[in-house]
Amino acid sequence: MSAEIPEVLPTGQTGARRRGLRNHSLLIGAALVCLVIVMGLLSFVWTPHNPTLVNPAARLQLPSAEYWFGTDKFGRDVFSQILVGSRTTLFVGIVAVGVAGVIGVPLGIVSAMAPNWFGELVMRCNDLLLAFPALLLAIMFTAVFGSSTLVAMIAIGIATIPNFARLIRSGTLQVLKTEYILAARASGRGPFAIGLRHVLPNVSSLIIVQASVSFAIAVLAEAALSFLGFGTPPPTPSWGRMLQESQEMLWSAPRLALFPGAAIAVAVLGFNLLGDGLRDRFDPKLEDRR
Amino acid sequence: MKSRLTSRTLALLAAASLVTASCSAGAPGEGGTGTDQGGSTAGGGSADTEELSIGFGAEPENLDLTTTAGAALPQVLLYNIYETLVKVDQDGTIVPALAKSWTVSEDRRTYTFVLQEGVTFSNGDEFTAEDVKYSIESVRDDWTISLKEPMDIVESVEVVSPTEVTVTLSEPSNSWLYRMTTRIGAMFSPDATEDLATEPVGTGPYELQKWTRGDSISLSRNAEYWGDEPAFETVNFKYFKDPTALNNALLTGTINVIGLLESPETLGQFEGNDKYQVIEGTTNGEVQLSFNNGSEPMQNEQVRQAVRHAIDHQALLDTCWAGRGTLIGSMVPPTDPWYEDLTGLYPYDVDKASALLEESGHADHTFRLRLPTRSYATSCGTVVQSQLEQAGFNVTIDQLEFPAAWLNTVFTNADYDMTIIAHTEPRDMTKVFGDPGYYTRYDSEEFRDLLQRADSGTEQEEVELLKEAARLLSTDAAADWLFVLPNLIVAEAGITGLPQNAVSESFDVTGLGRS
Amino acid sequence: MALRLLIRAGILLASVAVSSVLVFAFMAVIPGDPARVALGVNASEAAVTQLREEFGLNRPLLEQYLEWIGGLVTFDPGLSYVTRSEIGPLLADRVMVTLWLVGTAMIVALLVALPVGAVMAVRHRQLSGLTLSALSQVGVAIPAFLAGILLIALFAVWLGWLPANGWTAPVVDPVMFVKQLILPATSLALVQSAVLTRYVRSAILEVLREDYLRTARAKGLKPMQALVRHGLRNAAVPVVTVLGLQLSTLLVGAVVIERVFVIPGLGSLLLDSVSQRDLIMVQDVVMVLVVAVLAMNFLVDVLYLIIDPRLRAGAR
Repeated sequence: MSAEIPEVLPTGQTGARRRGLRNHSLLIGAALVCLVIVMGLLSFVWTPHNPTLVNPAARLQLPSAEYWFGTDKFGRDVFSQILVGSRTTLFVGIVAVGVAGVIGVPLGIVSAMAPNWFGELVMRCNDLLLAFPALLLAIMFTAVFGSSTLVAMIAIGIATIPNFARLIRSGTLQVLKTEYILAARASGRGPFAIGLRHVLPNVSSLIIVQASVSFAIAVLAEAALSFLGFGTPPPTPSWGRMLQESQEMLWSAPRLALFPGAAIAVAVLGFNLLGDGLRDRFDPKLEDRR
Repeated sequence: MKSRLTSRTLALLAAASLVTASCSAGAPGEGGTGTDQGGSTAGGGSADTEELSIGFGAEPENLDLTTTAGAALPQVLLYNIYETLVKVDQDGTIVPALAKSWTVSEDRRTYTFVLQEGVTFSNGDEFTAEDVKYSIESVRDDWTISLKEPMDIVESVEVVSPTEVTVTLSEPSNSWLYRMTTRIGAMFSPDATEDLATEPVGTGPYELQKWTRGDSISLSRNAEYWGDEPAFETVNFKYFKDPTALNNALLTGTINVIGLLESPETLGQFEGNDKYQVIEGTTNGEVQLSFNNGSEPMQNEQVRQAVRHAIDHQALLDTCWAGRGTLIGSMVPPTDPWYEDLTGLYPYDVDKASALLEESGHADHTFRLRLPTRSYATSCGTVVQSQLEQAGFNVTIDQLEFPAAWLNTVFTNADYDMTIIAHTEPRDMTKVFGDPGYYTRYDSEEFRDLLQRADSGTEQEEVELLKEAARLLSTDAAADWLFVLPNLIVAEAGITGLPQNAVSESFDVTGLGRS
Repeated sequence: MALRLLIRAGILLASVAVSSVLVFAFMAVIPGDPARVALGVNASEAAVTQLREEFGLNRPLLEQYLEWIGGLVTFDPGLSYVTRSEIGPLLADRVMVTLWLVGTAMIVALLVALPVGAVMAVRHRQLSGLTLSALSQVGVAIPAFLAGILLIALFAVWLGWLPANGWTAPVVDPVMFVKQLILPATSLALVQSAVLTRYVRSAILEVLREDYLRTARAKGLKPMQALVRHGLRNAAVPVVTVLGLQLSTLLVGAVVIERVFVIPGLGSLLLDSVSQRDLIMVQDVVMVLVVAVLAMNFLVDVLYLIIDPRLRAGAR
């Protein structure tokens, strides 16, 4: 939650040197994200053990050739859980970003292309939504619809809509000023066609950057919700819940907190770096300063 | 800048290595340093009996016994602020409290209580037979929680003299006097019922000093108390939602006692450390895998039996509650007189379970295990699910926020197949299975008949009949009993008078001291 | 400018009004009967019905809404469903606790982020700047509650320097108050400063590229001097914006941190009230949080007008 980054960071200076440095971000970020994705895919075809099988005989084993990351208090293999848990993490991010993007992007484009008063209205609604912090919304949603990952993440997604909408709006406003949009207008294209054919492709880089950053936020949100008991219900492996379950073992088996903690950090770091790197790559120079 | 950077890196490294060290070593010595430091910050060093802080999990919602149920309320109020005519001791025997003595008539319907003299309420009012009459009658007529039902049997209350009162029951009842030791036996003053939710007034050795909602309830010694003065001047009940926070509070000296430890895996932090004493006894809290006896497919006895055979109780207890607790085979904790070891009725047998499930024709059904968000439920639910799946069940877990969502879905609407919940009231078999409308939806004429006869029979008969009832319950597979929650108390060494077993609803602080 | 302020204030009021409707509507659809939850497992049906009556849960929604809003506006929110005690003083207590926590965290975060961010910007090509950058990335990636748990394990349980949890009001025992505030405020500030640092860095980098700073440096000022003399005001604009936006993050972070450190603040009150279905209380807490965020956004807008000369000119 704490990493909420509401808009694109103003970019630094230009030049080959900086690009070179910044590309490290892109590379590292992409590598970490790939790692998470590969883990998720791998878990569909192979895990060393059944991640949800409770095995009292193998409780709290130290890491070994048999159990790479050891086992938890239920005798479940931690490594297998981390593998399968990456699926939950990806799911969490995809739902949250999906909801935010699918609603936020069209909203941003429409509000920029529509008459001024409408755009203003949309932005005010945006500010209003922004006043409901993501975690607050998620807690309220789970209270109404029951506790499930999907519900929590839809709530996080809704709370992220303003970030998308605002960014895309300012991006669209920039694009609309360009000459070829004027040309398209002159050639009689309707606003819908312009929006879809000309604006959307031009703001797609912004969307990708924002998606990457929002992904990281969603992953942190899932962890926080799991800690509060509003997250993914058992037995589905989830890094957030593993972290929460490990808390009582912190004194005797800190590794149980270490692995999911590190996994969350890797995923969040990966998506943040990827976002930063991409932003630089595209160098949009589209800053939203309200 | 470089120095800042390095110091930050170092701190991080240090944090990582220290955490590892503290854990791998078990480190009683170093743990002790922490305690020393913490102790001095709490400032409880010199004055031995000035103040005692006890940590618990759940905080009461308000302090009104007449309308509020739950275990947290009598824990702090009963015997400490409110007193009863009789109370129960560690062996489960009923002993005098506000009543010096009592006699029971030949037909076992009339009880005559002789009251202590010179007892006053904390508001200054004198405690007399009139107050007894008022208290009993208001429980019967005005209380809104269903726990008060045992009082319905009271026909009349007569004030014989200021210190003598007789209670007549409509029929003999073995359980009535016992129930008088619980919250419904608490004695109130008719002049002090304005603000029960925030200002309880009782005759007990303590009175409410301050309630900081969300944090603690402080009791201070009642200077006018009629009996022996308790050792501690102030006793704080401090509340911690998070079990780890509760442990840390004791480790750092914020509290002196953990009243009920709910994370047994952490006991190793205290065991074998001279600074702490660990008490392990038993409670009245049966952790029950409840079945919805009223609905498909749990209506089918074979399915219920299959579930019971599928569960390896010892393995379950070892895994989800660190092996602490007692296995039971029916809804009677070992501290009750009609306890009988029934754990052998449904031995762990996966093959038999699969066969029974197959026979029942419900092998394809997806069973909904709907768990309240309590640590024992989520923890044991994980094990139950895994064990059931090994016997061929399809089980999905739903987590329902406790209390609100769970009460609504499971308790009120009985929209579930199985759930896990701890029933913590003493002698609650009657309540949980005696009423077909209760969420277990267990409807057995035979069982109710046994209960009824037990209550009106002689004490001998009571024990025999209740044994029979418990056995029937178990054979019928009306539920599966996972284990009885252990009474785990961790305290600073030198604190005396801590109860071995939690036999009553109260955490009685009046007998505590410091050696 | 006055007109702008007026418009902003109007928007603030409208937003508050709309969000109050949203919050109320949301609470109306939460399943779980507050009366039953208030009475617990052993309540009889008759008692539940009676309590519903008492709470006024059977009345039309509009009536309930108007009464609720009326209570809030007159600072007399009435009685809680569950505790049967006055909400007003309790809410005020909790707000103070959370304000201390969030305020301290914000100040600590700023104190760390401003210099570190500036150094990161000025030395953005040097190893120190890059390392700090990387560290801030890692800081953002660590869940705040994990940081809290580790801090407790290290400084309270292991070293015994500070209490592991709890809260003491400053008037009761100032020393204890500070001791108990250090760890939670640090946990909150840790992640926050990592986020802020990155904004400060970008904002300053931006400013460093401006012509007037180049001119200043051409006149022989060192980068830091030039920045301090000429650039800070401009760099402050985006930082102030972010600060306002981060308040909501901090408030929510406090919900989790309060749970970790057993602090009786707004967050704990919210979580407790949700689980007890003390809907009136939930509504009130959510409203307080939302209004706080809206008010902060308003303040940022106002500050904006004051800080940014360009905007001010435009407004005239």
